[in-house]
Amino acid sequence: MTETSTVESAGSAPGSALYELRGVTRTFAKGSVAVNALRGIDLDINRGEMLVLEGPSGSGKSTLLQLLGALDTPTSGQIRFAGRSLENESDQVLTEIRSKEIGFVFQQFNLIPTLSADDNVAIAMVPREPSRDKRSARARELLTQVGLEHRFGHLPSRLSGGEQQRVAIARALANRPEVIIADEPTGNLDSDNAKEFMTLLHDLHERSGVTIIIATHDEDIASTTQRRIRLRDGSIMADTRN
Amino acid sequence: MFSLSYAWNELHRRLGRTLVTAIGLAAGVGLVMGIIGVSQGLSDAQTKALSPLGSVGTDIIVTRTVAPTLSTATTTTTTFGGFGGGSGGGGSFAGGGGFFGGRGNAALNSSDTAALDAANSSVITDLAKLGPAGTKFTHDFFVPGTLITFPSKAVSDVAKVKGVTSAVGALSLDALHETGTVPKITASVKTGGQTISASVKPPVLTAAQQAAERTCIEGLINKQVGSTTTTIAGAAPGGPTSGGGFGGGGGFRFGAGASSAFAKCLTPAQKAYQQNVVVPEQTVNEVLNPPTTNTKTSTYTVAGVNPSNTTSGLVTKAQLVKGTWLSTTPSTAATQVLVTTAYASQEGLKLDQTLSINSVKYKIVGLVNPTLTGDVSDIYFSLANLQTLSTNQSRVNEVLVSVANAKDVNAVAKAIKKELPGATVLTSKSLADQVTGSLSNARKLANDLGGALAVVVLLAAFLIAGLLTLSSVSKRVREIGSLRAIGWSRGRVVRQIMAETIGIGVIGGVLGIGIGVVICLIIGAVGPALSVSSTGLAVGASSVSGLVHQTTSATVATTVHLTAPIRVFTIVIAFVGALLGGLIAGAVGGWRAARLSPSSALRDLG
Repeated sequence: MTETSTVESAGSAPGSALYELRGVTRTFAKGSVAVNALRGIDLDINRGEMLVLEGPSGSGKSTLLQLLGALDTPTSGQIRFAGRSLENESDQVLTEIRSKEIGFVFQQFNLIPTLSADDNVAIAMVPREPSRDKRSARARELLTQVGLEHRFGHLPSRLSGGEQQRVAIARALANRPEVIIADEPTGNLDSDNAKEFMTLLHDLHERSGVTIIIATHDEDIASTTQRRIRLRDGSIMADTRN
Repeated sequence: MFSLSYAWNELHRRLGRTLVTAIGLAAGVGLVMGIIGVSQGLSDAQTKALSPLGSVGTDIIVTRTVAPTLSTATTTTTTFGGFGGGSGGGGSFAGGGGFFGGRGNAALNSSDTAALDAANSSVITDLAKLGPAGTKFTHDFFVPGTLITFPSKAVSDVAKVKGVTSAVGALSLDALHETGTVPKITASVKTGGQTISASVKPPVLTAAQQAAERTCIEGLINKQVGSTTTTIAGAAPGGPTSGGGFGGGGGFRFGAGASSAFAKCLTPAQKAYQQNVVVPEQTVNEVLNPPTTNTKTSTYTVAGVNPSNTTSGLVTKAQLVKGTWLSTTPSTAATQVLVTTAYASQEGLKLDQTLSINSVKYKIVGLVNPTLTGDVSDIYFSLANLQTLSTNQSRVNEVLVSVANAKDVNAVAKAIKKELPGATVLTSKSLADQVTGSLSNARKLANDLGGALAVVVLLAAFLIAGLLTLSSVSKRVREIGSLRAIGWSRGRVVRQIMAETIGIGVIGGVLGIGIGVVICLIIGAVGPALSVSSTGLAVGASSVSGLVHQTTSATVATTVHLTAPIRVFTIVIAFVGALLGGLIAGAVGGWRAARLSPSSALRDLG
């Protein structure tokens, strides 16, 4: 709950370490069988990087993404995020970190079906910005940035998949996060929309320098990023930079 | 704390779900409103029917009734033996003995005895004293029945009891109205026609007497024969025996056949014997049918109220429906009466009409609608007037007591009982306790079951709302997970769900109040009639039945139509109930949502 401005000022410079993972494991109890989803991950991610996590399902890709997204804590090992250890933090602190530092884009878009596009963006700012008007103004600004200035009041059900995912990006950016974590963001999009979406993401990366981590098994997407991390059976098989 | 627009959008964009949950709550609170309404309706009906004293500004009624059992009073039965039959035995007056004057004394004191004798003896109709046959008569008798009168002094005695603000004396009597014609009382007795026989042995005459008689008679015969020979011959056509026949006639004959001419020849003894014959004594018996009369009797009840006390009494000015109150001038009030609307419509009486009672004309100055259950009289006189009319001067048989503080009623009642041993002291509560009938049963049922039913209905509604919310939350796993992922805390998610369900509660409350109002109106419209019987109310002189052999029941029955009144309280309860339902549903839903992991947003849920 403590203000993390020191962290921000200390490490907001591009190229400085954002994530430092040391010996991270994650074990799930599936009935009486322990499933080792991650088996000792060591990984450093710097600010401003755009990278892809690849691997077949069951490789531990999603588990790693959850740990990077502060949605989960490791069974063992250390995770430092923006100079701060996450492994023993409470749900409350993790929630605070997510709200402040992390933006999410999901495969299913995960927009709230009863809220219009601008409200869906604004809803992410509710914990941080008490003024409704300010939330609304920023939401519209972000939607304009992603090219949806004509769709403010539309419900998700009246938007195309590509449009929904763009709303999701706007939402992810709402709190000016350090990192955007995208889980199979193009998995529900056709190839045209997928391409368009990746263009938007690259554009965003170039403009704002925000760190972007994408989990995908789409080779076309993976080939566009500077860094690719390949996972298999809970371990990093390859970490390549273009 | 939560997003109002989000909650609002959730509610109106998922209108179906919102309405189903809200209607579930609404049905629950609507039913509860109906239950509360019925319960209150019953309570109102009971209050109306069973708290009769309060409606006349009275908290306690003091009477003195004939006690049915008695151990030490066998010696006092004589005076009222004739009246005891219908009301538990004359001797039982002594049960109330020692009421005034002779406190603690088991026997009725002598002034009471005389007064009661005077009051009750008036109910004797002696046809012989009503005038010659054919005279039409009409008379009203006033009898106190079981409500024994007592001196007015008791009123001031009661007034002195601590806590009593006012004590008013009243006289409540039964009246017996008798009309008819004096019958002709005749009986025909036939006498005579009997044969009377007497055997007589005349005294033997002395020789001198015989000679004297013979000489006398012969003298007379010779005198007559000399002048009437032909007459005799002509009178005896029978021939040779005729002379002898005369001789037969010459014997001593008594009676009418003997010529008076010969009588003077008789001896004094013979004359006297004839005079002394006596007819044997005889009794003539004949059954006489009693005279047929056309006497008709009807009963009604009368009461005396103090005209100058308009707020406390058997009837109060507030209960005046039409006309005016009795005049406070005694001479004017002496010819005025108040009649209850019920009696007036039964008898076809109208305002300003005159009633003739024992040859005095009374003007109906007002129609009243008294509510003192069990003690509603038909006609109300001024107290002084009725006391005179019923030979109950300075006596009353009820004291209506007002108590300063409602909490003191029981204590004051106790004090009065102590002050006046033998008094029957009635309070509203003791009256209510005597109530039976379907209303009482229904109220009991409503009290016993209504509360439980209301709780069950509410719990069912809460359960439904909770389950619906739970199901809704479960369908929103990804949505809630996403909110958690993008930085919504557990508390915020729970509050958001609570906000939604409270909104549903508000909608349910409004709908439920509507449903409840409709239910209450329907109950009021088709409301079943409930009977209230209050038995054993010692108020009212019902024991006149014992005197006139009518089967008047001592039970006072009232019919009350069930209504379900809607009170602000009920509406508040309904609304709070619905809100509570919303809160409970929110708590259930929130509990479920809080258990959702934020990572569920990332899981592939299809």
